Amino acid sequence: MRNFWEQLGKIDRRIVYLFVFLGASAPLFLHVVPKFKASPEVVQAYQAIDELPAGSVVLFSIDYDAASMPELQPLLEAMLTHVFRKDLKVLMMGHWPLGLPLGQIALEKMAKRYNKKYGEDYVFLGYRPGLAAVILNMGKEIRTVFNVDYKGTPLDSLPLMRNIHNYNDIALLVGFEAGAVGDYWVQFAQARFQQKIILAATAVVWPDLYPYLQAHQIVGLIGGLRGAADYEVLVNQPGSASTGMASQTVVHILIVVFILLGNLGYYFTRTWRKPT
Amino acid sequence: MKKEIPLAITFISGFLLIVALFVPHRPFGDLEQRFNDWYIIVAGFTLILGVDSLLAHHWKIIRRRQPGAFHSMALILSFIVTLVWGVWDGLKFGNPFDPASTFLRYFYTYVFVSLQATMFSLLAFFIASAAYRAFRARTSTATLLLVAAALVMLGNVPKGYLAIPPVVAITGLLLAFHFFREGQETAETTMRIVYWGTALVILVLLYPVIQFLYHNLPAVKDWIMNVPHLGAKRGILIGVALGAVAISLRIILGIERTYLR
Repeated sequence: MRNFWEQLGKIDRRIVYLFVFLGASAPLFLHVVPKFKASPEVVQAYQAIDELPAGSVVLFSIDYDAASMPELQPLLEAMLTHVFRKDLKVLMMGHWPLGLPLGQIALEKMAKRYNKKYGEDYVFLGYRPGLAAVILNMGKEIRTVFNVDYKGTPLDSLPLMRNIHNYNDIALLVGFEAGAVGDYWVQFAQARFQQKIILAATAVVWPDLYPYLQAHQIVGLIGGLRGAADYEVLVNQPGSASTGMASQTVVHILIVVFILLGNLGYYFTRTWRKPT
Repeated sequence: MKKEIPLAITFISGFLLIVALFVPHRPFGDLEQRFNDWYIIVAGFTLILGVDSLLAHHWKIIRRRQPGAFHSMALILSFIVTLVWGVWDGLKFGNPFDPASTFLRYFYTYVFVSLQATMFSLLAFFIASAAYRAFRARTSTATLLLVAAALVMLGNVPKGYLAIPPVVAITGLLLAFHFFREGQETAETTMRIVYWGTALVILVLLYPVIQFLYHNLPAVKDWIMNVPHLGAKRGILIGVALGAVAISLRIILGIERTYLR
């Protein structure tokens, strides 16, 4: 019996890997999509976009790369769907140069789906180094940072950009965060220029951004794959985030079960070792 | 003069930027704008510096035939392929990330994205294994962390509540057993009653707790995130911010000079 408890506390890591692999992949192959309700923070973010009048400008900041793509890319697509359906205008830029093409791919895909025209309905600004300085300068005049778009077209020759100069002309900013850029958006764009912000972050970064939501420094917070799945539900367009929910559920339950088994093994082994 | 000039530049820049925050009018407001422009230009050059130092480091490893030279060769080769392909498509399409460019379609999408996503997805396996091995209820604080983590993990997924009955039942029974044993081992009658009483309370409360968590798990998760987590997080943030202010002042006033080394 003692050996059994000892073994329970020392399960080979390859067995853990195997269970995680099966738990993550089986629901994807079986196409299981659980039903769920969107969380309040995501509903709040959805409403912030939904309340914008047609023609308002939304700035998307791509601050993630391929490592966080499974979590944030479905969310970006769902939000672009919402924005284009509402006939809002889109500006896109980013502080993570290696992830920026992911934003561009999603933007082109959604613009094509909703027959949006480059320069009139959306503009892709690209990347400039400098992070805080870029955010601060954009508050005064976007052209001091981006005088041309990613193709090298002068901003003034794009119809959408003619009346957009700084944050006063941007109704909402949505930051897709896999790192600390969200803090910079809040500290500089919100605190200095009162820019309305929604932050969409990976599950790792999401808890760090909670204080901003409670302090009303951001108007919405969307976290991880669950947040993306919630948004897909709200725009009624189930995608890879909703499909991933079953895998995430199974893996989370598996991890909790493994933790429990480990503790059972630890407790009973220790109990047996206790001198009587 | 090697130290005095950088110290003077730091002091003047820092001082002027602080003044510009509170007096956004001429000449300070303009100065802030100018400093930011300079910062963006300098930040651009740091990218070149980064590339230079990365290549120099790996070239040294190859030249000295140190262990891992093969990996350094792969890095330099990948760098050259990326650079040449990117510049080529940049010239051909006006931008290497133009939707029609082969760099975007083949190299970025099918090589870079796949490699990076693969590396990160391995984390799921390591986290599961690490959680199993490291999350032990050794102390009361570790137990608290363990319980909170389990509730947030289960509360954040759609059907997480399904795991609540077995997990809470086993945990509760284990706790009750623990207190029962502690009571059995103690010689003092009062303490024995306390231990056994605790075990009994746990057993009595087990079913209502399971029922409560089963029906309110997302609300419990939200409470953990919005109350205890947020309180701790805010405290840490304020502490970090005060530390940043202190260290910034030390740098501006020239007390902290380690950056000059």
